[in-house]
Amino acid sequence: MPQPPVIRVPQPSRSSYQPNRPLSKNSLLQNHVKHFRELEKDLPPDQQTGIPIDSITTEGQAAEYIRRMTMKLHRPKAGV
Amino acid sequence: MSAGLDNLKHVVVLMMENRSFDHMLGALHAADPRINGLTGNETNPDTTNEPAQVAPQAEFQSQLDPDPDHSFPAVQKQLFFGTPGPPAQAAMQGFVQSYWDQQHDVAHSHKIMYYFAPGKLPVLHTLAQSYALFNGWFASIPGPTVCNRAFAHYGTSFGKVNLDIFYVVEPYQSIYERLLAAGRTTKLYYFDPSSSTQEVVNLLKNQPQIFATYPQFLEDCKSGALPDYSFVEPNYSDHPGDDGGEQLASDQHPDHDVQAGEQFIASIYNAIRQNPDLWQSTALLITYDEHGGIHDHVPPPACIPDGFQAALTDTGGMPFAFDRLGVRVPAILVSPWIAKATVVPGPEDPANGRVFEHASIPATITQHFIGDYDNRSPREKAAQTFLDLLTDEMRPDSDCPSFQLD
Repeated sequence: MPQPPVIRVPQPSRSSYQPNRPLSKNSLLQNHVKHFRELEKDLPPDQQTGIPIDSITTEGQAAEYIRRMTMKLHRPKAGV
Repeated sequence: MSAGLDNLKHVVVLMMENRSFDHMLGALHAADPRINGLTGNETNPDTTNEPAQVAPQAEFQSQLDPDPDHSFPAVQKQLFFGTPGPPAQAAMQGFVQSYWDQQHDVAHSHKIMYYFAPGKLPVLHTLAQSYALFNGWFASIPGPTVCNRAFAHYGTSFGKVNLDIFYVVEPYQSIYERLLAAGRTTKLYYFDPSSSTQEVVNLLKNQPQIFATYPQFLEDCKSGALPDYSFVEPNYSDHPGDDGGEQLASDQHPDHDVQAGEQFIASIYNAIRQNPDLWQSTALLITYDEHGGIHDHVPPPACIPDGFQAALTDTGGMPFAFDRLGVRVPAILVSPWIAKATVVPGPEDPANGRVFEHASIPATITQHFIGDYDNRSPREKAAQTFLDLLTDEMRPDSDCPSFQLD
């Protein structure tokens, strides 16, 4: 039986991972943080992260702030 | 109705970030002249008035740094440099000048003309040549991400042309809310909580039940639990994973690694492809939200106005009534019911060409899963739909590629 063509997809380089990339290089992520900050203002004070968004200067820090805010709004199904 | 459409139970849309048609797929014109890509002779003037020519020298990373400006005013320069401006047709001659504006480096500004050599993107190039490639799919707005993604979710951006947080104006509902109200099923799969969802954070707050994550998408494909309509978002940032490993951004937004996006696209395709029932009952659309400031040679066409006027403070003072489209982006429709190597003609074919934009997504989903539905934007009502590309004949398994991720 003829087999489907299989195409190899190379892995990216290990050096591609740059969580310390300055947030200023990505306006989309900067605005993503601002959007969550707007939502955070509506949360009761005891549920806010306490993270000043001016202190978020890298992509990794932005991801951590977004993670904490997302988890307040949506809890993904455990295990997946 | 075609047999392919008769069998269709699921539509999946994967929207990537910030790459133009010519940058990603322009090289394919050499192998298939029906594809409206690059001849290799296209140029833009640089700031010394020398021509900067397109070249197959695009790299996966570290080339488009800084991130090319794709705010509304910058895109107007990319489109209309050297012309009187709208309503004249865009000349597509200002990409190099616009990139030069960011760091005044003439040599670097030429890189905005680079495109990926044939075969350098094995996933996107294979899919484009195996299924249906759209020659005329355009971003909805000549501007950035958030307002463009809004058209995929709502069929409008409610008058916005920028990245500001979004305020929904009655009576337009998101495609997800419409589907739920009609008793259909839908999910918006974001990558993980650290990446989360773009543009629709208001929905995340008010309707968290429609959200799930990428691992859940893979699980739903495996178990046959995929909803009627799924929208998939890539990973928008480099960040640690829950297991302490490295999660590489897969959105292909400059300066994220394009190969990581290739792997992500392949994983979405494989997840559908590897479940035989799902494969024959699913259509997968892969597209990009906007061009990210990167060169394309096709002038965006005019379109029906959307009933809004953009704020002049957001447009650099240029009046904008949402009556012309943004820059062309890659779009590929995947299904075994699509004839091999279909090329959907665009504006290059005045007789048969079709123009698509992101409002085509809610228009198509509404048409197929809901039917008559009036409370939609003028743009969405006028948008082309794409499921007519499914045929009566299902291609054999041996004719449909699969991907092996290293």
